[in-house]
Amino acid sequence: MVDNVRALKKKHRIAVAWAQDPNTVGAVSKAVDKGFAEAVMIGIPDEITRICRENKIDPARFRIIESENEMNASREAVRLVRSGSADIVMKGLVGTDKFLQAVMDKENGIMLPNAVLSYVGAIEMPAYHKLLFITDPAVIPFPDLDQKVAMAEYAIEMAAKFGIEKPRIALIGASEKMSRHFRNSVDYSVMCKMAERGQIKNCIMDGPLDIFLALDKKSIDIKGVKTPIDGDADILLFPSLESCNPFYKGLMLFAGGELAGLIRGTQKPVVLMSRSESENSKFYCIALACLMA
Amino acid sequence: MVLKSLNDLKDIVSGGPRKKLVVATAQDQHSLGAVIRAWKDDIIEPILIGDKEGIQNICAANNYDISGARIIHEPDIEMAVEMSVKMVSSKQGDILMKGKVGTSTLLKCVLNKEWGLRTGNLLSHFALFEVETYPKVIAVTDVAMNIAPNLKEKISIINNSVSCLIKLGYKMPKVAVLGAVEMVNENMEATLDAALLSKMNQRDQIRNCIIDGPLAFDNAVSLESARHKGIRSEVAGDTDLLLMPDIEVGNVLYKSLVFFAKAKVASVILGARVPIVLTSRSDSEQAKYDSILLSAAASK
Repeated sequence: MVDNVRALKKKHRIAVAWAQDPNTVGAVSKAVDKGFAEAVMIGIPDEITRICRENKIDPARFRIIESENEMNASREAVRLVRSGSADIVMKGLVGTDKFLQAVMDKENGIMLPNAVLSYVGAIEMPAYHKLLFITDPAVIPFPDLDQKVAMAEYAIEMAAKFGIEKPRIALIGASEKMSRHFRNSVDYSVMCKMAERGQIKNCIMDGPLDIFLALDKKSIDIKGVKTPIDGDADILLFPSLESCNPFYKGLMLFAGGELAGLIRGTQKPVVLMSRSESENSKFYCIALACLMA
Repeated sequence: MVLKSLNDLKDIVSGGPRKKLVVATAQDQHSLGAVIRAWKDDIIEPILIGDKEGIQNICAANNYDISGARIIHEPDIEMAVEMSVKMVSSKQGDILMKGKVGTSTLLKCVLNKEWGLRTGNLLSHFALFEVETYPKVIAVTDVAMNIAPNLKEKISIINNSVSCLIKLGYKMPKVAVLGAVEMVNENMEATLDAALLSKMNQRDQIRNCIIDGPLAFDNAVSLESARHKGIRSEVAGDTDLLLMPDIEVGNVLYKSLVFFAKAKVASVILGARVPIVLTSRSDSEQAKYDSILLSAAASK
């Protein structure tokens, strides 16, 4: 991914809201080092400078804008992107709710009209032979059909940026069987038909499938389920935030997974990560945002 | 095998054992002609239950030869129906046919919990149409019985129809789930059910057939139209069975095929212990005859 971004040979301008956070400063600085980013740090200048010095980073490489609180810092970051002075908004030490409030503000935010706000992540891990995109671990608790369709389209769009033209997208459930009692399996069959009829484009879609059938060819053979996903999924679409979120956190904890993720549905990429996320994860998110910008 | 015309029904049932056809309240001119023709063709053996004198009078007036036919005298309509149904449920008959009695009276007896013909399956109407403008016979369900089937009922209707088609010699009949459009639309329940039925079929939860839907009528029956719309489907343009979203659509399609397209039709009620011939007065004698043939084939 980082190679892909560098190959773009473009410096993306990142506006960081409430930037006085060591991991964030470190990650942004690394992106600047790699030559694909410039940054505007919005927050308390003294704090930002102190963190830079502590981490042996020259504060002069950033433009620093003073802001008195996290809400204003978020609004300022969004304003910079709206006005075209920046390409990407990134959350620093601000809480997600305040940050998203600025992003989603009807008058001054950067939402696409009528767009669904969702989140797509890309996981890299030794146990799987390629990048695995997942949605939605962070924004929509219980997506309805329209939201699931939007999630699928965001993930397909992101996979395309990685050169995957027709990603295999598995709609995840507990079993491959259809049941009227599982609202998701109803949505999934509707989505599969939409993909068949070209209402969702540029993908190979099947579901419900469990994780094994989506990611493991051996399970396909054992169960004898015929599915075009064939244990080789590029994208996993989960039925709920609470199923997707533990999936990726489990992989990070036990399978050496690294996650990069982005908010979708905005005019420009928005980097939103948990404040406790590592510098490395944040760096990957920045790279992903630059790729999607 | 695929039926090219309704005449093929005769080949399917000819030479087989004669089926015992029980006619409930046989004193009905509209039914007797077709029953006697099928009898003379050695396809069925009639058991005529009803008002003996009435039956004989109709036959005399129409020059039907019924010498040798079994007639059981029961002048009371309800008693005659009950006797007919009991005869079938005690395995003395292979097919039940409605005579003069009203449909609701007959069905009430068929559905009787103690001595009726229930199997636990939903009863559904199954019709075969021969239309000049389609290269093979097309089956349509349900145009007469289930008013607004839900998903579960649609599954039963498909299963009833597919078993019948298999008895007629079909292997993996192609089932089109009809909608107004071939796209999935959240505001059109029929298109959502169609998507579900397709997926259940892919997952082997509905077997022995290939299901696709939603398909609009044109792309279900015209390959050209399906191609024009860019639909990739094994079923589009080559449908064996059309599943109707509800009775209004089904009934209007049925009648427009008969009246405007001069279709030949044969129909049967499926899902009971035996096939039930339940034709209406407005059906031609040929349609009744073909329906008896269809029922004989379905009773295998």
